[in-house]
Amino acid sequence: MSHPATLPQALRLVRRELRSGLRGFGVFLGCLFLGVFAISAIGSFTEAARSGLLTDASALLGGDLEVEINHRPVTTEQLTFLQQQGPVSQVRSLRTMAGSADGDRHALVELKAVDGLYPLYGAIGSEPPQPLTTALTDNGALVEAAFLERLGVSIGDTIHIGATSFQVRGILRAEPDRSVRAFTLGPRVLINLSGLQATNLIQPGSLVAYAYRLKLPDKTAVDGLKTDLETTFPDAGWRLHTWRDATPRVRFFLERMNLNLTLLGLCALLVGGLGVSGAVRGYLAGKIIHIATMKSLGAPARVIFTAYLLQVLILGAIGSAAGLVCGAALPYLVAALFGAGLPIPLVPSIYPATLGLAALFGLLIALVFSLKPLGAALQVPPAVLFRGYFDAELHGPSRPVWMAIALTAMCLAALVVASSSDQRLAIWFIVGAALCFGLFRLAAAAAIRSARRLPRPRHPALRLGLGNISRRGSPAASTLFALGLGLTTLVIITLVQGNLNDLVDDTLPGDAPAFFFLDIQPQQVADFERTLRALPGVSRIERSPTLRGRITAINGIPAEQATVDPNVQWAIRGDRFLSYAATPSSANKIISGSWWPADYKGPPLLSLTADLGRGFAVKVGDTLTVNVLGREVTATIANLRQVDWQTMELNFALLFSPGILEQAPQTHIAAVHVDRDGEAAVFRAVTSAFPNISAISTREVLANVSRTMNRIGSAFQAMAAVALLAGFLVLAGAVSADQHRRINDAVIFKVCGATRIDIIQAFATEFTLLGLTAGVISALIGSLAAWGIVDGLMQTAFHLKPWAILTTIALGMALTLSLGLAGTWKALGQKPAPWLRSE
Amino acid sequence: MAHPLVEIENLHLSLIGGAGPVNILNGIDLAVAAGQTVSVVGPSGAGKTTLLMILSGLEQPTSGRIQINGIALQGQSEDALARFRRQNVGIVFQSFHLVPTMTALENVALPLEFAGAEHAFDRARAALCATGLEPRISHFPGELSGGEQQRVALARAFVANPALILADEPTGNLDLETGAMVMQLLFDLQQQHGTTLILVTHDAALAKRCHRTLRMADGRLADL
Repeated sequence: MSHPATLPQALRLVRRELRSGLRGFGVFLGCLFLGVFAISAIGSFTEAARSGLLTDASALLGGDLEVEINHRPVTTEQLTFLQQQGPVSQVRSLRTMAGSADGDRHALVELKAVDGLYPLYGAIGSEPPQPLTTALTDNGALVEAAFLERLGVSIGDTIHIGATSFQVRGILRAEPDRSVRAFTLGPRVLINLSGLQATNLIQPGSLVAYAYRLKLPDKTAVDGLKTDLETTFPDAGWRLHTWRDATPRVRFFLERMNLNLTLLGLCALLVGGLGVSGAVRGYLAGKIIHIATMKSLGAPARVIFTAYLLQVLILGAIGSAAGLVCGAALPYLVAALFGAGLPIPLVPSIYPATLGLAALFGLLIALVFSLKPLGAALQVPPAVLFRGYFDAELHGPSRPVWMAIALTAMCLAALVVASSSDQRLAIWFIVGAALCFGLFRLAAAAAIRSARRLPRPRHPALRLGLGNISRRGSPAASTLFALGLGLTTLVIITLVQGNLNDLVDDTLPGDAPAFFFLDIQPQQVADFERTLRALPGVSRIERSPTLRGRITAINGIPAEQATVDPNVQWAIRGDRFLSYAATPSSANKIISGSWWPADYKGPPLLSLTADLGRGFAVKVGDTLTVNVLGREVTATIANLRQVDWQTMELNFALLFSPGILEQAPQTHIAAVHVDRDGEAAVFRAVTSAFPNISAISTREVLANVSRTMNRIGSAFQAMAAVALLAGFLVLAGAVSADQHRRINDAVIFKVCGATRIDIIQAFATEFTLLGLTAGVISALIGSLAAWGIVDGLMQTAFHLKPWAILTTIALGMALTLSLGLAGTWKALGQKPAPWLRSE
Repeated sequence: MAHPLVEIENLHLSLIGGAGPVNILNGIDLAVAAGQTVSVVGPSGAGKTTLLMILSGLEQPTSGRIQINGIALQGQSEDALARFRRQNVGIVFQSFHLVPTMTALENVALPLEFAGAEHAFDRARAALCATGLEPRISHFPGELSGGEQQRVALARAFVANPALILADEPTGNLDLETGAMVMQLLFDLQQQHGTTLILVTHDAALAKRCHRTLRMADGRLADL
């Protein structure tokens, strides 16, 4: 006799099974939907943003190619070369103070001065709408709305910047080349180049950024032009950006956000996997007799297995498809709702690779979590038709099924690593997730075993509640697992964010300076210090000369080719503040090498912070080459020092020996320590007497950073909420699956004389204890994980937040209790007589 | 008759079915003295089990009067009937109706726990011993035979020393030999406690063991 093919038989069985509808699979579909939605939404949003950045690259950059240089303009020869390639728009940017007409109020602003060709791409948006040349001519200015609030001025009013007055002509609503930054020190003020000239703010050594944007006849020729510039002017000391790599910081930020949020989305999908497992287990528990009957009629196990596996895959496809559709729609929705108000341009589209990846994750999760209950149920012997009893939980799946589970799990792990832009983090995530699963399994088993071993409580409700937790077949394990994982994710994010917020709390650390003053011209130093010392409350003034420079080589190897630890990549990206000193300050602790003599006059020496030394893999005696105002200075590392940046004392990562940079154009930077009560007077005195000096309030900066971090943190909290929602769904599934048993128990309790209050008390006790246990376990494991991240990865002091712990525990209890009692309501309302008759 | 333990007067019960109202009980009158054993026989669907449901307070009559141990049941709330049951009635079902996730001891202790009785588990242990199940007190129903499960149910029914025991075909799911053993136990316990017993059965021999036999037909009750 030939054996009929497995697949057609299995498909016939599937069609018959699915005729009865999808009842009982709500949680299965919901869990997969949530997880796949989260991942596809994040991926689609990121791709839409990436496309937006690429599509608008020239507008974001301000041109097809940008030449960026600090402290000084390009030479005439360089400018001529640029102008021969196409129209060149010149832009100057600096931070400075702006004051009200009466001089009473000042604010730090991001000043930008533009020429008549600006913008080469895109358009400025202003309110009221007006041509840019009209707005800026005759000392006109466009300002951000925040500036008007800060200074208490309106459109038409006069403001002072440097030595000149400007009239506010309108509010700046759209600035196409505004670099997307996580936070800014002040609102934008836009003026023209002749206005900037009149302010007298451009002095030798002033911290001014010069940008030259080119519009090329052929955009694709930009790479050739970049090479030409690098070859023709090798020592120019400028940075060249093309439209292809516009806004590298934004893209970096986008990648990190995408990576971290995707991993959190995976957390949600993993938690949802428990719901998948529970739903499949519950469904198959009701199919025991089906399966036994089919086996007794001669159906091969592989046909039955294939049939139910196909059902799982079909249902998985439905849940995932719904998630994909909603995830793909999210960028469209965001673009439609928020449109031009977004900091990053969005180009919503269907991104097949992104959606395919999310679908693949959904499929693998559905498989990993379904195979075990499928395999266990398939162990049903036909003899159960006579015995009437089969406990699938006592029978595990066969070895081939275990191997399939292992293989699928490995594929899932491999996909996580392969699709991640930071594979080290992805591996840590997998290890962490596996550890969490293991820990939670142990913790849940321990909690249930403890419930079993506790002395019998006197109160019947407590006894029944505890008994329900520890009884065989109780949903306690999956409840603790799923809800616990979701709560743990929330605890980790809340604690990590809380600790990061502590770092940037607007309460100043100990003796941190209240102000940093920038752009102090050398000839102003004496008057500046005299002004400050005359004010009450000023306890200390630290001052250093400062210049800007860029690290161009490490031990002779060009910086972009050197092996640099990712943690200190920032040091070779762009210009850094640097200084020189004859003697070390007390804030520096030399850990290697020695300081130079105060009267040192030899070849250039450098003092480097220890973290940069480690990151660059350099030691005392190695060299670093720094381009300072176009001049390459190669210095030998004389010492490495440990700096505690958290004290916010004035310090520099790179300190040169004396005799090298004194003649270079420079300004001074000062850190001023003053009592809180004296801060306002210091701010007023300095900004009034020295309009060119920028005043940065440390308190305001910290508050600004804190606000920004909270905004970024919201995205992570939203993802944690998705994970918690998935846990909630799993709990709902567990309660729903347990419904029949609860009704049965409630009826028997009523037969034995239980009132409704007795029954509510018993169930409420059970769910309260479950929620409390889930909350406590989550608080413990979440705190441990957060400590590992903050203390281990971020190397920052970790503080436990009792409110976060208590909130988690309370949330766990509230969720479990509300959902559990909602599910119990039906049991409570069941009339005993009809139930007893039907049973 | 001295004041009867059970008094029923003109009891009616109608249920609404898909095809309209169905009259299950059509004017039942009954008086049972304390300590008496009464069997109720009759064809399937006659209303025997429904009568037991009403006597136990698990179902409310449509009309009529019912009083047990001086307590009127009609019009009582569900919670009041639960409180009545825990002190006055023990029920033995054909399908045992034990809580599958509780041990034999815990099942038997349930009525005492809900009644807030002292030493509930000690009394439950004693009740199980009286049915010969001391070695099985920690076993779950799934680990007991049918006869053992029904003995647990008997222990549960008698543990609170109720005035009235209602048994609905208690041997229906048992083989002859086990059924006979269970019934012997039931009558022994009834004698020991002096409990009034109302027994629904198809077994004529069993019915004859009771002081009185009633026949239910078409929702009406008549002495045989």
